[in-house]
Amino acid sequence: MLNLDELFVTRKWVGKPVRRDQDIRFIRGEATYVDDLEMECGHVAFLRSIYAHARIKRIDTSKAAALSGVLAVVTGEDVARETRPIVPRAITRPATQYVMAVEKVRYVGEPLVAVVAEDRYLAEDALELIDVEYEPLRPLVEIEDALREDAPLIFEEAGSNELLHEKLEHGNIEAAYREADLFVKERFRLHRYSSTPLENWAIIAKHEKGDDAFVVWANDQQPGRSTTNVCNMLGIPNSGLRLIVPDSGGGFGIKLAIWPYIVILCLLARRTDRAVKWVQTRREHLLAGTHAPDARVEIELALRRDGRILGLSIKDIQNDGSFIHTAGIYGLIKFATMVGCYDIGATRAELVSVVTNKGPTVQNRGVGKPTMIFVLERMVDIAARRVGLDPAEMRFRNFVQPGQMPYSTPSGEIYESGNYPECLRKALSLSGYEEFRKRKEEMREQGRYLGIGMSASIEPGTSNLGYYYTHRGLPEYMGNAEGAIVGVDYDGNVNVLLGSVDEGQGHATTTAQVVADMLGIDPGRVSMSTHLDSLISPFLGHSGCYSNKFNDVDLGAVIMATKKVRDKMLRIASHALGVEAGELTFRNGEICWAKDERRSIAFKEIATVAYKKILLLPEGMEPGLKEIAYYKNPAAKPPSKANFNVQLTHSNSVHMATVEVDVDTGAVTIVKYVIVHDCGTQINPGIVEGMAIGSTVHGIGAVLYEEFVYDENGQLLSTSFMDYLKPLAVGLPRFEVAHVESPCPTTLLGTKAVGEGGAIGSLAALANAVEDALAPFGVKVTSLPITPEKVVRAVRETGEI
Amino acid sequence: MHRIAVRINGKAYGHEVEPRLLLVHYIREKARLTGTHVGCDTGNCGACTTLLNGQPVKSCLMLAVQANGAELTTIEGLAGNGLHQIQEAFLDKFAVQCGYCTPGMILSAYALLKANPKPEEGEIREAIEGNLCMCTGYQQIVDAIGHAARTMRMSGSR
Ligand code: FES
Ligand code: FES
Repeated sequence: MLNLDELFVTRKWVGKPVRRDQDIRFIRGEATYVDDLEMECGHVAFLRSIYAHARIKRIDTSKAAALSGVLAVVTGEDVARETRPIVPRAITRPATQYVMAVEKVRYVGEPLVAVVAEDRYLAEDALELIDVEYEPLRPLVEIEDALREDAPLIFEEAGSNELLHEKLEHGNIEAAYREADLFVKERFRLHRYSSTPLENWAIIAKHEKGDDAFVVWANDQQPGRSTTNVCNMLGIPNSGLRLIVPDSGGGFGIKLAIWPYIVILCLLARRTDRAVKWVQTRREHLLAGTHAPDARVEIELALRRDGRILGLSIKDIQNDGSFIHTAGIYGLIKFATMVGCYDIGATRAELVSVVTNKGPTVQNRGVGKPTMIFVLERMVDIAARRVGLDPAEMRFRNFVQPGQMPYSTPSGEIYESGNYPECLRKALSLSGYEEFRKRKEEMREQGRYLGIGMSASIEPGTSNLGYYYTHRGLPEYMGNAEGAIVGVDYDGNVNVLLGSVDEGQGHATTTAQVVADMLGIDPGRVSMSTHLDSLISPFLGHSGCYSNKFNDVDLGAVIMATKKVRDKMLRIASHALGVEAGELTFRNGEICWAKDERRSIAFKEIATVAYKKILLLPEGMEPGLKEIAYYKNPAAKPPSKANFNVQLTHSNSVHMATVEVDVDTGAVTIVKYVIVHDCGTQINPGIVEGMAIGSTVHGIGAVLYEEFVYDENGQLLSTSFMDYLKPLAVGLPRFEVAHVESPCPTTLLGTKAVGEGGAIGSLAALANAVEDALAPFGVKVTSLPITPEKVVRAVRETGEI
Repeated sequence: MHRIAVRINGKAYGHEVEPRLLLVHYIREKARLTGTHVGCDTGNCGACTTLLNGQPVKSCLMLAVQANGAELTTIEGLAGNGLHQIQEAFLDKFAVQCGYCTPGMILSAYALLKANPKPEEGEIREAIEGNLCMCTGYQQIVDAIGHAARTMRMSGSR
């Protein structure tokens, strides 16, 4: 962390809820999402598999191709001839998959045929005319189906439906088990859900015939990786793809998997010699646009009688569906938060990634950490009951203490900062924990069932990319970094370009606040295009908006570039004013002599010297006033199975949910919800609060409403927002958000992750609250979601949700 | 093909359209007003909310031909060059993240405040029940609408 008093020339903007005036276009309806771009296009629609698992015997596209207004009809076979297969990131067994179905379909909704037509209505008409003959195979829907001895193989070449099976031990787990007085063990089932950004995926691709190059507009979350993947798969040089990301209507990880469709669109553009456009429908999004995997997790805690947790074992089986690129990732990334907020000396993990005939999975908000924290925080409650402790006391006894920072978990994750006990103390007091317990008893007399539940969770940020190769040699990515260009324009205003994209987090305003305080100007004078253009934006393989990296490496790059610009401005000013640079200060868009402020030069004049009157520059100085910087997080370790850090910053939070359960209808009402969050230094509390609440509502949706339900044939039953229920404005409580601020020593400003925390901590807090409310019935919560039907059944018959 | 004529944001439009063309596609593709968004295909998300003769409708649930002769207001027409107080309030209260739901939210809020200038929090929540926001968790949107109601009452505007 830098000394902020030295870094900033004013302290007026960082830390204040500065309005997002940089993003005024959104409230005027003048934003530019991909679908808003004005361009003559052919329109693309996909014929998708109606079977979960089948051999493709024949596809007859002749009638569709003959329909007037149809420009091209392309099958998976055609695509496979012109592309390379998908490269998997984490799995250890061989599996070959193309961006469209070839020979076989592996999930309902897998794209089989792409049609380009003069308009989307026509393209959809053409799909009706395509004839596909399938030979249905046995669908493998649940993990158990895929692991059965006689199960067919989804990828024959893999020789198994387990594409990754890894066992990792860290710390002395044998000793922990020997020393323990008791063990608690439980099995959990987690369901499939997704953050479903409101804007679906959208792509426009144009082919530049002369040099076989492509210009693509897409709402892509990680252009650094997408450009690599797309170029590799098309076999074109990097110069053959220019990727532009305009405004994006939410991401949450779900838009990390758009690049296979970019590959398809490029082929269609080349084939038709037209710009082609595909806008995913919501049905396509829910069916084939990626989910968080469902999982079966067994977890065991080895405990001392006084409640101290000595060791943790986990067996984690993920249903990764049928997308081999990201399969296995959810298991491995759990190491970022395997021991949660607790000082646990030893861990054992068995991680399994299973392919099934469910839809593809990708990194949904929190990626595996929601699951890990859910099972761990459920266990802490269960263990507390076993040893006769209050759940809060159980947590206090096991927390990593502030004095232990930086704390290394057994696997090598480094918690660089945080005050977990303080967060819990604050949450207990804000939620009125003690009084509530009394009230709960009174209400119970009246036949009303209230409960309170808590969770303490780590919210890791900034992926140390490459963690997912810890088991198979050196990865193609390591560490994390971002690039930025900062320039002062002719008029003395500041312009920023970033290698990242914005999914709605307000990067432009946050950046403007930082730059404004570094240069002593108003944030209104700092503009930043959040539209990325791979041709002109500074760019790394890591570039993109994911894993909460903005506050760390993105701003790091902005700060380093701004420092370079600032140094150059000082040298120009010093030369112009005839004053030592050390005696100059920044004041309201000017640089002036500290001893006599009348001797000053405005940014505009400095820029004029730099860009125009270049003979006035100091001897030997290059013209121009624009600097580029790349910044990497310094805490990343190179991958090694024995000692690795999956992520590089660690925010944390305590969630405290109070619920009432109607045991007749099964309805769960959230009565009160407290979030105590520690993301280190806050730059814009208004934005931070929005993300803390927004991410929490994602988790609430996952616990109470949302589930991708498949029938035994692998048909997805939740393909619209009528069946896949999202939280609405009605039915949510008012959230109370409070902060503890432990600055992060390894980021420049002391900032840490913000965007995912609520989606991680809320699952267990709610489940623990429901279990507390239903304690008189002895109901255990071992699965999600907690639907009214499951509640009623648990109360009346099964005793288990 | 059918000929339709509508007024959108006070301006007259006339086009030959296919009977199956959705109103939202008409607004976006024929009138080229892209502030009206599409977030689903079933009328559940509200991203396409527009005012039809003053009433909020989901323009993905109507055909363009059904709007023949109607007066439409989209987000682009709410305040001319300046900002409507509701828009100001959305900025003040951080009610916008990705902005995709925002036009629909603002139009639903506008219709609410016209009918009920002094809504309770519960009434605000009900008024935007048909508008999904995937980013904010709604709290700051609800606060913005309450704030807008206050500033509009104070300035006597509607
Ligand atoms: S697009 Fe009209 S309600 Fe979703
Ligand atoms: S701000 Fe993104 S959907 Fe509401």
